[in-house]
Amino acid sequence: MKILTMIFPLLTVLAVFMIVGSQGAWQMDLGLFGLTDISVGLKASSLANFFAVLIAFSLLTVSFLSDKYKLSKTFYFLLYLLTWSLLLIVYASDYLLFFIGWEVMSITTYLLLSYTLSTKALIKFIVFAMASAMSLLAAIVILYSGAHSFLYVDAHQGYIALSESLKVIFIVLMLFALFVKIGVIGFHYWLVDSYSESHDYFTPFLSAILSKMAIYALIILLVYVVDIGTMPNSWIAYTLAVLGLLSSLIATFKAVNEDSMKRLLAYSSIAQLGYIVTVLSFADGMSGALYHSLIHTLVKLLLFINVAGIIYVTSRSKFSELGGLIYRMPQSFVMLLIGIIVLAGMPPLGGFASKYLIYNTLLEEGNLLILSAMMFASAAAFLYIYKLIYGIYLGHPTSKKLESVKEVPFAFLLPQYIISAVLVVLGTFPGIITPMLNSILTELNLKALPVDSAMVLSTQTGSYNGLVVIAGFVLVFIAVLLLLLSLSSKVREAKDRFDIAYCGEVPTEATHLHYGFSMGKELRRVGFIGTILKNSSSHLYEFFAKQLFSFAQIARKLYSGNLSMNFNIAAIFVLALLWWSLK
Amino acid sequence: MIVFDLLGMLVAAYIVGFIYYGLYRNITARFQRRIGPTVFQSFFDSIKFFSKEDSISHGWMFYLGPVIMTTGAVMTLFFIPFFYQSEHFSGLSQYGNLFVVLYLMMLGPLGNAMGVGVSGSPFAAMGITRGLTRLFAMELPFYIAVIALMSINHSADIATIAANQTTINAFSYPLLFIAAMFSFVAMMGQSPFDVVGAPVEVYSGPAAEFSGKFLALLMSQSSIMSFAKLVLMVNLFLGGAEGFPELLGKTFVLFLFVIAFGAMYGRFKTPQSVDFLVKVPTAIAVVGLLLATLGGQ
Repeated sequence: MKILTMIFPLLTVLAVFMIVGSQGAWQMDLGLFGLTDISVGLKASSLANFFAVLIAFSLLTVSFLSDKYKLSKTFYFLLYLLTWSLLLIVYASDYLLFFIGWEVMSITTYLLLSYTLSTKALIKFIVFAMASAMSLLAAIVILYSGAHSFLYVDAHQGYIALSESLKVIFIVLMLFALFVKIGVIGFHYWLVDSYSESHDYFTPFLSAILSKMAIYALIILLVYVVDIGTMPNSWIAYTLAVLGLLSSLIATFKAVNEDSMKRLLAYSSIAQLGYIVTVLSFADGMSGALYHSLIHTLVKLLLFINVAGIIYVTSRSKFSELGGLIYRMPQSFVMLLIGIIVLAGMPPLGGFASKYLIYNTLLEEGNLLILSAMMFASAAAFLYIYKLIYGIYLGHPTSKKLESVKEVPFAFLLPQYIISAVLVVLGTFPGIITPMLNSILTELNLKALPVDSAMVLSTQTGSYNGLVVIAGFVLVFIAVLLLLLSLSSKVREAKDRFDIAYCGEVPTEATHLHYGFSMGKELRRVGFIGTILKNSSSHLYEFFAKQLFSFAQIARKLYSGNLSMNFNIAAIFVLALLWWSLK
Repeated sequence: MIVFDLLGMLVAAYIVGFIYYGLYRNITARFQRRIGPTVFQSFFDSIKFFSKEDSISHGWMFYLGPVIMTTGAVMTLFFIPFFYQSEHFSGLSQYGNLFVVLYLMMLGPLGNAMGVGVSGSPFAAMGITRGLTRLFAMELPFYIAVIALMSINHSADIATIAANQTTINAFSYPLLFIAAMFSFVAMMGQSPFDVVGAPVEVYSGPAAEFSGKFLALLMSQSSIMSFAKLVLMVNLFLGGAEGFPELLGKTFVLFLFVIAFGAMYGRFKTPQSVDFLVKVPTAIAVVGLLLATLGGQ
């Protein structure tokens, strides 16, 4: 069983590599089945390959954990079915196969979530997933009415052929479907519960790659259908920019206030995808969006696997129940440190490369206020990023039990090492994927990035050399450390954890010293943040639910289950039918 | 040789930074009708701390916190060119632009936050939270002003922005300068935005647990970082410099203004300073940005 759980992911990786190498395309006319005018196809385009590699990598890394969890065969079957539906989504070259993949994805995700989710969270998920799928289907049908073809190559002609009002309806339906899956703020009602309650084995996959499918679909919509490269559309651009920025800002402050690790990371996902949605609002932002998708996939895999390890060892998931684990699990700490440096977008690691690309393209484009707001959001993100590492590893252990825990098993550390290595390489050689990005950009008829050596990431306004930054950093670090160690003065290790400066008092076991769970609470006192924290989209949805219930109460009076009442209704219905048919 | 160039920058920043810190203590004392310590007092203090016999440590991460902070300060310094048209003292600035500098400036405090957190002092962690809360508020007006400058010059290169000023930016774009100055006062840790390291209030904030050589290292990096920030500000708004006399003159004027400002105003609470920074200076910066970019076209 355990060997089997590695074989399938390896086969998937192999298959993706073969497809990537093939550059193949396949197209079939469904006339054979009596469906004239409809053809479906698969195509290994550069864009599809990019996302397929992310899918295969994510599956492989989470599979290392399967040793540690007792999961049923059905679970694995569903996971692999999900993976192949994702591959179908990215390799489809028409909206029909795409939609089939999308539906299989939604249903298998639902079944995978049903293992651990509470009923309420599960209902939230399925209602939103179905609403998203139906609105996607409606949009696809509208597009078909214009093009009489589902293929992406005909999609732009079909979009042009639509009347102005249909165009608007098409875009609104499509954006609704994708925003729900991305979890743009306001449409994220299902997301946080699903992420936090899903199985620890499944959450990294869910956060890293499932949300990226909607990003992929958004790219398809913007490039193939609307063609923003040659025909910029201002209201779509404003919608994306504004909603993306709101996601980044609001989710950032919501994240600070969470006590659960996985809920904090769920909000962080919303915020990070907000950046991607924002930069997709203009054509040149594509490079930044792709780079950030790559980084976000890697970093969320790393962070969720790290958190899964903590939950596995301590069986606790809240900051208020953790703390002070650094010297008991130093390897996990270093991995999380690498993760948060990337999440914060700090040099010298890979996270800075994507931020740099995004900022420079926004600057070139002249979207200055968007750029300012985005940098503001990413500076505010340091708060929840610090809370994440402080709440788990720093401060004081909140109970005796935490003082005897050991390092997480190697099965959790191995994938984290692999991902960290990739992130360090991307930080040192940020330009290493420029050729790959350029092949995607030329395929999409967008402006390519300037090519330089692998260690330089170039944009139109400037470049930075990753190798110099990281080498300088390491050398200065070593020099300062040697200076500190070479000083003759003695250093005394603290007696115990109560040996701290505490305003002249001596703290005891009973003193609350772990600051983790109240961190961020004081933000309520800042005017605009307090407003954000007080309000929630759930109020809106609960309002709708209440209206629906009161409507149902009226309907219930008519359909009471009383036989004579049913007869009366049936009689009225038949009479009405008769009257209508005779008219 | 670039190594000598970098060492030169480091030594200059270290010496000037410490003298400025001494001047800060001296001038603040004069504002308060005291005589104050000599200019070199902080330098003596740091030497004394470096050779202190006893200091407490809380494990390896506690060691690394001040080291990362110092590394961040030194790297920031290396990426800011001292002079806009000189082969010397330009450090590594050709390898990265203003975005790199803006992020390197925040790297140190974040690294130090790990060292502070591991010490286990809740008051120190509280100081960090205050610092991070103030950080995003104080960066906002500065970002807007800097982004406006980058857009006007069509470049994110510091030396280019410094060289492009026929009239200095502080006069051509006064609103941007005023907004950036509010942030700059906060960045220099001056009143009214100094609640983070405020003595008495939270037992000295983030530095509460550091003693002996750790404190000495933190003091040294603070001097280097202050000078780096001053040079950045001179490059962006005061027309840069061609030689050391001009650089020292301009940084000193800027520094004197910051001290005077700090001496005059009382301290804000954290929520108050966030509220103020995201309202008044941000509004000024946005108006400045709109005037600067729309007016140019």
